[in-house]
Amino acid sequence: MQRTSTTPTPDAVHDEPVSPQSLRASSGSLGDTLLSLCARGSAILVILMLAALLIVVFVQAWPSIRSSGLSFLTSSEWRANSLERPVLGPDGKIVFKDGEMLTETVPPTFGALPVIYGTAVSSVLALVVAVPFSFGTALFLIRVAPKWKISTPVSFLVEFLAAIPSIAFGIWGLFVLAPFLAQHVEPAIKTVLGPVPGLGWLFFETVELGGETVTREIPLTGRDLFCGSLVLAIMVIPIITAVSRDVLRAVPRAQIEGTIALGATWWQSCWSMLHYSRSGLFGAVMLGLARAAGETMAVTMVIGNNMQIRASPFLPAQTMSSLMANEFAEASDAGHRAALLNVALILLLMSLFFNIIARWLVVGGKSRSSMAH
Amino acid sequence: MIRSERLRRGASSLMYAVCVTFALSIIIILAFITAYLVSIGFSSLTTEFFTEIPTGDINNPGGMKHAILGTLTLLGMASVVGIPLGVLVGVYLSEYAADRWLPGPVRFIADVLAGVPSIVVGILGYELIVVPMGRFSGYAGAFALAFIMIPIVARTTEEMLRLVPHSYREASMGLGATKSQTILRVILPSATGSIVTGVMLAMARIAGETAPLLFTALGSRLMPDDAGQPFPSLTVQIYTYAVGPYEAQRKLAWAGMLVLIAILFLLNLLIRFLTSRSIRRA
Repeated sequence: MQRTSTTPTPDAVHDEPVSPQSLRASSGSLGDTLLSLCARGSAILVILMLAALLIVVFVQAWPSIRSSGLSFLTSSEWRANSLERPVLGPDGKIVFKDGEMLTETVPPTFGALPVIYGTAVSSVLALVVAVPFSFGTALFLIRVAPKWKISTPVSFLVEFLAAIPSIAFGIWGLFVLAPFLAQHVEPAIKTVLGPVPGLGWLFFETVELGGETVTREIPLTGRDLFCGSLVLAIMVIPIITAVSRDVLRAVPRAQIEGTIALGATWWQSCWSMLHYSRSGLFGAVMLGLARAAGETMAVTMVIGNNMQIRASPFLPAQTMSSLMANEFAEASDAGHRAALLNVALILLLMSLFFNIIARWLVVGGKSRSSMAH
Repeated sequence: MIRSERLRRGASSLMYAVCVTFALSIIIILAFITAYLVSIGFSSLTTEFFTEIPTGDINNPGGMKHAILGTLTLLGMASVVGIPLGVLVGVYLSEYAADRWLPGPVRFIADVLAGVPSIVVGILGYELIVVPMGRFSGYAGAFALAFIMIPIVARTTEEMLRLVPHSYREASMGLGATKSQTILRVILPSATGSIVTGVMLAMARIAGETAPLLFTALGSRLMPDDAGQPFPSLTVQIYTYAVGPYEAQRKLAWAGMLVLIAILFLLNLLIRFLTSRSIRRA
């Protein structure tokens, strides 16, 4: 059924003034109705997807939220199994009754502070390494590479590496980087920084051992927070580089030419570019942060997976996502599963927060597809 | 005055050198990682890798035929659902942008969904499909992958449709075509090349995903015959072998990594080829 005349047919006349929009809608065929229904339906599906994600994770995490509340965020003890331990009397000695040791059962306890700490420290360390390298490479791609005619191959390499799966970085980190760090880099750092007063906590830790406090040397294994941060840095560098390159490319040519005409040196003109696009660059960093905080496989393979908060980066740690990768499949107990979902909820909300900030800053109202990785 | 001028130029040269050094070291590090993965993968690659399934013998572990087929099947199942839905959302965002309140939030949510950690999507697949079904299954894995795919396909499709000149729409409408005819016969065909690019970008992304499959498809040592059962995939098999203690299995993991990267690289080249062709045509 096609339109033959632009005059409104009688059934299209409404009380409202006739706009071209309503004209088109009234004369639409069955195909039009069907397609617009399908398109609108799938658009609503996208909203439902986010709603499902939030609702399902929240509902499953509810038992844990109800029982531990905000203390979930501040408690640092994570024990999935109930513990049987001897009862200690007021004098600190084990209590015996009828010649048998009295025991009490401690229920499982869940606190998310160690994984929040692990995620925060590993992501921030990764960004500290990645951001200077990424901005430097982006400036190189915009201001240096075109002159040498290598902009395209380098861009291709950066974009291809952004597409390499995280498990590839994980397996490389586990079998190449971690042993290399353990044998060469970490001992070297220790020789340099070890004697510096005030930095002893990097290489020594104080532990309670059989009632007495001893200070012992940390074994350098390579599978630790430091290695996890380095692998994360290598993984987010291609993303931050690609986005900040696009952001810097959007700096108007007149801006750059103006600085040079005013006698700025190469670096001063670059600095004015960085300054001009600072909010977009901050958005690029936020995207990197969101990626680093949500990254699972590579971190799980190299971070050592230890649920304790310990000061030195040369000790194993755990992040929110690596905790889920390690424990979710084996969590048979309802309380344990709810606690893991609670961690998933924190991770989800955190990544939504970073992504929303990044989108506001980089896209700034306009839409750009480079955001979708 | 002259001293400060020299300082200014010195600082500029220094920062120039720093930028070049940073870029070169990044290129070298990333090229080194890729070269290492490729070379060790090649030395571990055998013909059995493509023709056999795991034997259970730790010294002679067989191949990953099941995992390659499993990954391809999962990709296919996720695409059958994810591509049409994603393209429809893209069509909506681009062609029904006059709608009053829906397009803005939908675009925003699609962007946000593209950044959700994939392990959380895996957990959603577990709660929505694995728990009701009572077992891990290929369907749950495909669900998680499609979930990741839809926002990416939607946003790239929207971008590509927006590049179609507005005169096409006006000409089509002017010739008396309805809106659906315009979209289906004029706009979508003229953007097909670039939509295919976006689709392949999304496929490359989900082909390398491990985390969402851990709690949904789980992985298996058998041929992927029944999607209602635990389902093998390259990435999960690589992970299982890599963190395991056996040397022969680790070699298989390296070989699997090479095959996966080769698949992604071919996809990437194809994307570049299609993009350059569609840009030349436009």
